Amino acid sequence: MSRAWLAILAAVVLLPIFVRHSIATEIWIFAIFGLGLNLLMGYTGLLSFGQATFFGSAAYAAGYLLKYYGINIFLALATGIAVGAVSAALVGYLCVQRSGLYFIMLTFALNQMFYFTAYQWTTVTGGEDGMPGVPRPSVLGLDIHPPLAYYAAVALLFLLSLWVMRRIVESPLGKILQSIRDNELRAEALGYNVPRMKLAAFVVGGAFSGLAGVLYGMLFGIVPLESIGFVFSGNVVFATLIGGSGSLYGPVIGSFVFIWLSESVSAIWARWPLLLGVAFVVVVLFFRGGVVEAWARFWTWRAAHPATRADASR
Amino acid sequence: MPLVRTDRLTKSFGALVAVNAVTLAVDEGSLHSVIGPNGAGKTTFFNLLTGQLAPTSGRIVFDGRDIAGTPPHGIAHLGIARSFQRTSIFPTLSLLDNVWLAAFARQESWRGLAWRRTDGYPKLAERAMAMLEEVGLAGKHGEPARAISHGEQRQLELAIALAATPRLLLLDEPAAGLSPDETKKMVALVRKLKGRYTIILIEHKIDVVMSMSDRISVMHFGSVIAEGVPAEIQRNAEVRRAYLGGIAPP
Repeated sequence: MSRAWLAILAAVVLLPIFVRHSIATEIWIFAIFGLGLNLLMGYTGLLSFGQATFFGSAAYAAGYLLKYYGINIFLALATGIAVGAVSAALVGYLCVQRSGLYFIMLTFALNQMFYFTAYQWTTVTGGEDGMPGVPRPSVLGLDIHPPLAYYAAVALLFLLSLWVMRRIVESPLGKILQSIRDNELRAEALGYNVPRMKLAAFVVGGAFSGLAGVLYGMLFGIVPLESIGFVFSGNVVFATLIGGSGSLYGPVIGSFVFIWLSESVSAIWARWPLLLGVAFVVVVLFFRGGVVEAWARFWTWRAAHPATRADASR
Repeated sequence: MPLVRTDRLTKSFGALVAVNAVTLAVDEGSLHSVIGPNGAGKTTFFNLLTGQLAPTSGRIVFDGRDIAGTPPHGIAHLGIARSFQRTSIFPTLSLLDNVWLAAFARQESWRGLAWRRTDGYPKLAERAMAMLEEVGLAGKHGEPARAISHGEQRQLELAIALAATPRLLLLDEPAAGLSPDETKKMVALVRKLKGRYTIILIEHKIDVVMSMSDRISVMHFGSVIAEGVPAEIQRNAEVRRAYLGGIAPP
């Protein structure tokens, strides 16, 4: 097992000791959301500004079925993943027809369309008030109402998601998506149907977003309207950039930084988004690869300056 | 029987006819060069063959099938591979991955597409390494493509095209922008490929073309103004006027 996995396992175990359980849970949920976006943004080079579309649609659909039909947890998760994937297939099909700025604007515009649908469709979504009363069914007789139990369930799903995503980015598809990011024309000339491959990235990314959406609804017992809004879409882009897009663990670190800052620091200091802004500027100007790149550069620097190391150990 | 032939192939952009009724046949296993001054329509002709552009009219018959209008990824699966005049590689990926992707695309089945690890295809890795070996880059297989020199990137460009197991290889100025030394290496490389692949070559260096080609087509303002074996082209008065100027021996 690699050092990165050991570090993540340690984080999974230690986090609930130091951080409030609901925040700790939210970190891994947001990380799953980020993993999905990263496949698009980091690996395929598609800056989707509409990931909340899939997150929110899944949260509403699964939340509705949980609330009114009392479906079991496995069906709820499956619904979330399926709704995430299907909505991503619809949106993705339209978006991959265009590239660059037009692509970004399409993801954004379609997100707005879904947002206003949710806003207007009050009988189902509750409109501005959100959809409260989303239950948290037990898992094979195990009660996951205690915050720590739910944390454990989410953490397990996160680890599973991370493992699945690793398999995908290390598969031929992962390589093909990276080749599209690097040079679309060449990938097409090699025999890859570029729009179809991009669509595949959308569907997989949407499935991850959908899973995160259901877990989010069950965490707070409500699907708020914001969960399908563009601010949410922006947040996940933000978090992934800070962590490091294009590396597998980037969104995980980004989610940690983002949620921790927004939930912990906001309690102390109301102007906390300022910190995020500064972090963002630093990343964009100096560390395009986010925390992951800063970390790697630090170790290269340390290796190149053995004298400093000797000083430090003295 | 020719492997590929074009029949009055035409491409116009508005009033400009970039490729004008080009009829051309390339025999299996031969090296056919296309020469002509800048802007003669050579690269546009390639873009028609590879589906990057759809022809305005005319036919492209490859292995007995009309393939005009097939999209680029479909063309690749027929076994037509190209190298680009302006280096077109995957800069952040390793040399091996660059070539591996070309080999994978041509697999009969894409089993394990989204699940099997890329090192779970030993035959492909072997093939990719062999292609890097062929162009003399095997020693650098782990380096990212952006880190190697321009000359090496041109070699990589060729390795990518070869890894696609082409039945027809289109080389668009493989020696573009190379130093005299690098050019010599590239020419030797292309010479090594001659006979093993059916090749259409666009090249500016006349001596190279004259010494290597089985047949030569000369393009000028979108039309083929002459076609023949090198000796015929050298003698052709119209070609001399249009292209060779004073440099061809009388």
